[in-house]
Parts: sequence; structure tokens; C-alpha cells
Amino acid sequence: MNRNCDDALANLYAYLDRELDDSTTAAIRGHLADCPPCEHAFGFEDRLKSVIRERLSVEIPNEFLERLREALRSGRL
Amino acid sequence: MVGSRPIFVVLACRAVADQADFEADAMQFAPQLYTAAMRMARNPADAEDLVQETFLKAYRAYHSFEAGTNLKAWLYRILTNTYINKYRRAARRPSEVDLGEVEDMYLYRRVSSSQALDASQSAEDLFLDGLVEADIKQAVERLPEHFRLPVLLADLEGFSYKQIAEILEVPIGTVMSRLHRGRKALEKALWEYARVRGLVDSNGVEDE
Repeated sequence: MNRNCDDALANLYAYLDRELDDSTTAAIRGHLADCPPCEHAFGFEDRLKSVIRERLSVEIPNEFLERLREALRSGRL
Repeated sequence: MVGSRPIFVVLACRAVADQADFEADAMQFAPQLYTAAMRMARNPADAEDLVQETFLKAYRAYHSFEAGTNLKAWLYRILTNTYINKYRRAARRPSEVDLGEVEDMYLYRRVSSSQALDASQSAEDLFLDGLVEADIKQAVERLPEHFRLPVLLADLEGFSYKQIAEILEVPIGTVMSRLHRGRKALEKALWEYARVRGLVDSNGVEDE
């Protein structure tokens, strides 16, 4: 762990959320290319985020979707 | 009020035109809104009510939607407000998760220092592959409201911090700190579930 690692980790979420400006993003990307432990940690957090998103989604029941559409069409909503 | 009559007519015409487009424009977001509603309301009957009410309000207010701005964010704002107003009492109940200080990368530090139970896969892969839908749902649903909503809007829907701030009507700094703390609380809960399921061998991993 050095200062670059600390800087990168402090921006972990903002980086994964694509909220950083271009130069900070480039600096972190550069650091990750040179630092396997950080690259590994960021990779884990990124995969965790995807896993959470995928496994949280539920199918909207067809019957409900139809009811909603029907209500909109007939102005009964 | 006599002078307002012509304006009213114009507005009414515009509203009618807009509402004719409503189905085509807004229905595409129904599946996503339903998922968010399920994670907010926690059961299908309430989720359906929530989505239906959201579409009703959105339909009626569609004339006030500014064309060219983000329709998805506008719908989520209505959904979120509807949820908060409807379930305010429930939303205020005490937190079911321990939100003491959780360090950064709580989960990664623990998973990466645990022993892989199957030598052919890393501990991280085993953990991520083994996370059960039901556990993730429960972990999210148990987050207190003010953490759950930012986490859902960011991780499930991919809204930007600025959009989340607008949807929840709180400052962007508040969004960032709630998101940060909410994710850490979520990581802590997921670690506990993984231990219970034996997804990780936590012997030798420090506990606080």
C-alpha cells in the first residue's frame, strides 16, 4: 500500500460509478494497470456490483403488465 | 380568471396530445419500475399498487413533463415519492441492520483472506458465484430506507449521483455519503449470509 493505492481506494466507488473527471479516471486506470492488488480489489467490487444488479431484478408479471396497458388504453387508470 | 381561458384551452390540447404519447413513451420503463418497486415495497401486491399509482400520477402530470429531459428519472422520482408518502410510517421503523462503523472494502478484505473451499476456484469467484438471490434481496430489503433508496437507484438503475440527488431531493453530498454507508452495510450483511451458507471458510478471518 502506498499513497497511490490510498488515493485509488478513496475513489473506489466514484470510479466504479463513473463519477470522476477524465484526468482522475485516467490516473486511477494507470495505477490499476501497475498495481495488481488494487486491480484485484477494484475488479471484485465491480463484479459484486454487477452480481447485485443481476440477481435483484424480477420479472414483471405479464398479467399485471397487460392490466396496466389496458388501463392506459381505456383511460381507466 | 376570464383572461386565463385561452391559455387553459391551449394547455388542455397539449395535454391531450402528450397523454396520447404516454403509453409509447413510458410503458417501456414498467419492467424496471416494477423491480425497483418490489425492492422498495418488498412484496408483489404492494409493488403492483406502487407501479400503478406511479403510472396514474405520471399520466395525469405528463403535460408538465419537460420533453427532452430524462423521462426515466422523472418516473423514478414519482415512484420514490409515492413510496415514501405511502409507507412513511413503515419507513421510519428502526433499522434492522447494525450500522456501526464498517471499514472500506469490508467484504473484499474478508473474502480475499478466506480459504477457498474448492482449490480450483478463487475464494472471490466462489463467493460471487455462490451469492444467492434470496440473500441479496433480503440484505437490500433490510437496509434502512435512507440507505436503501440511493443503493437501489445507483446499483440497480445506474442513475448518476446528480440524478439520484434530484430524484430523492437531497444534496449530492448526502447521496454520496448514504450510498457509501449503504453499500458497506450491504457488504457486511452479505458476508454474514455467506458465512451461514458456508460459502466462505471464515476461520482465521478477523472479526470485530
